[in-house]
Amino acid sequence: MSLKSLDPRVTRLNLPEGETPAIEPKPELDQFETYEAFHQKKEGAAHTYVGPVHAPNEDVAFLFAKEQYSRRFACVGLWIARTEHIQVTPYVGDGENVYEMMRVVEEPTERSEEAEAYEIFHLKKRGKAHTHAGRVMATSYQEALQEARNQFGEKGPIVNVWVVKSKHVLQSAEEDKDMWTTIPEKKYREAIAYKVMDKITKYKEEHKTTAL
Amino acid sequence: MYGGGNVFEATKFDDLQTEDPAKLAEFEARIARGEKIEPNDWMPQLYRKQLIRMIEQHAHSEIIGALPEGTWITRAPGFRRKMAQMAKVQDEVGHAQLLYSAAETLGKTREQMLTDLINGKSKYSNVFNYPAFTWADSNIISWLIDAGAIVNQMANAKGSYGPYSRALERICAEEAFHLKYGHDAVVHMATGTPKQREMIQAALNRWWPPIMTFFGPSDKMSTHTETLMRWKVKMASNDECRQQFLDMYVPKIWELGLTVPDPNLKKNMETGQWEFTEPDWDEFKRVINGDGPCNAERLAVRRTAEERGAWVRRALLNPKAKYVKPLA
Ligand SMILES: [Fe+2]
Ligand SMILES: [Fe+2]
Ligand SMILES: [Fe+2]
Repeated sequence: MSLKSLDPRVTRLNLPEGETPAIEPKPELDQFETYEAFHQKKEGAAHTYVGPVHAPNEDVAFLFAKEQYSRRFACVGLWIARTEHIQVTPYVGDGENVYEMMRVVEEPTERSEEAEAYEIFHLKKRGKAHTHAGRVMATSYQEALQEARNQFGEKGPIVNVWVVKSKHVLQSAEEDKDMWTTIPEKKYREAIAYKVMDKITKYKEEHKTTAL
Repeated sequence: MYGGGNVFEATKFDDLQTEDPAKLAEFEARIARGEKIEPNDWMPQLYRKQLIRMIEQHAHSEIIGALPEGTWITRAPGFRRKMAQMAKVQDEVGHAQLLYSAAETLGKTREQMLTDLINGKSKYSNVFNYPAFTWADSNIISWLIDAGAIVNQMANAKGSYGPYSRALERICAEEAFHLKYGHDAVVHMATGTPKQREMIQAALNRWWPPIMTFFGPSDKMSTHTETLMRWKVKMASNDECRQQFLDMYVPKIWELGLTVPDPNLKKNMETGQWEFTEPDWDEFKRVINGDGPCNAERLAVRRTAEERGAWVRRALLNPKAKYVKPLA
């Protein structure tokens, strides 16, 4: 016997009816690695963290993040970095500055011959999103953090910092800007496109219904 | 979201005696100050367990909730409604993605969550174990189930866990469209031909009992519930949510001249509370434990999708990939 559904397409799947044996636990990485996505809301604005995506590689991560995070919220730029590549400082309390609280900075475990670019993201308040503070040149994550503290560490509360090498960030290109333009005839997916009050008022007048 | 109907049972982690008192005090003080908790913070085991459970159930509810409405995309009347229904269903699946990631920051992998969903170990909102017989059923889901979900989500967005709040902020913005879209669809039917009115009334009659169970049974007030409220995991009692829902939507149903299939439903003007026939909690328990009209179908469809996609995921997997939980 196969499963009968109200949806003929489900019925046509010929799924077995009744008890099915439990599935084996999904293997590790069945859902891939994670990447973190950052949006630029408008021209000139700093990139801001929007959330993670699961993807098999950077390019797919970019597509997933575009779909997931820009489908509904306008944006003009997108950065993607593999979670593994982002170094995270400890979190401090709201109102505090993590740069001031980090007295001992660990010795770098890895150092590059030449200075390279790192992107620095700050979280100003718990529950909010990390925002791009700027780019520094350094030979290690630790040095990048020191540099970041010197260059943009003084202004106000910073509860957490993310550090990632620029070469590990996939950035949308300037010449691809047109990929962010949404066609105007998608109004059907906006709340504002639905105006029911006229119909309701007309109905109430004709039928003398009341709300209570 | 369809995270309603959470039953917060006491667990073996209820014993806070085993937690480090200094750390616990610091954690509680942070929440009392109105600060959010972030993934790397120290947290009591009970906090972690309950949040995983709640966010995971919410995620499953989004993905399973997309099924009854999803089946109506191709049969929605007219091109515009097909497009709108499709946009809504895509939003719901997107909500699941956001929520799985939020739960993942607490230490349960997406692989484990999906396995537990398919094996019936984790729950999703019980209302999706009921069928959407007609287009009108789909409209009632879009309007009233989403309305219930919004009541829940707005409350939870103010909760203490950073990643969950961030996800809910995005989700709530999209839900505004769902609610308007659903209301518009119901109004269209209710103010249409006699046949359309009859269809929407019949769908409302079918969905009312599940809707009344959506927020779950009255909470037993226990130290357990009090703890979860103090930690801003549980933001409102199930009864408060149900009352708020009735306050907001019963008048909107009545103004369309539709009736609610409960002769006892009325607002007590003295207490300000809605009175209604107690929902059938035995049926609720029976259905949530697997014996509902659509449980088997929902899980079978999910399972098939997972199984049929497995070879694609295996082929795409980077052999050097390494699992790291998402950051925030
Ligand atoms: Fe949703
Ligand atoms: Fe929904
Ligand atoms: Fe929704």
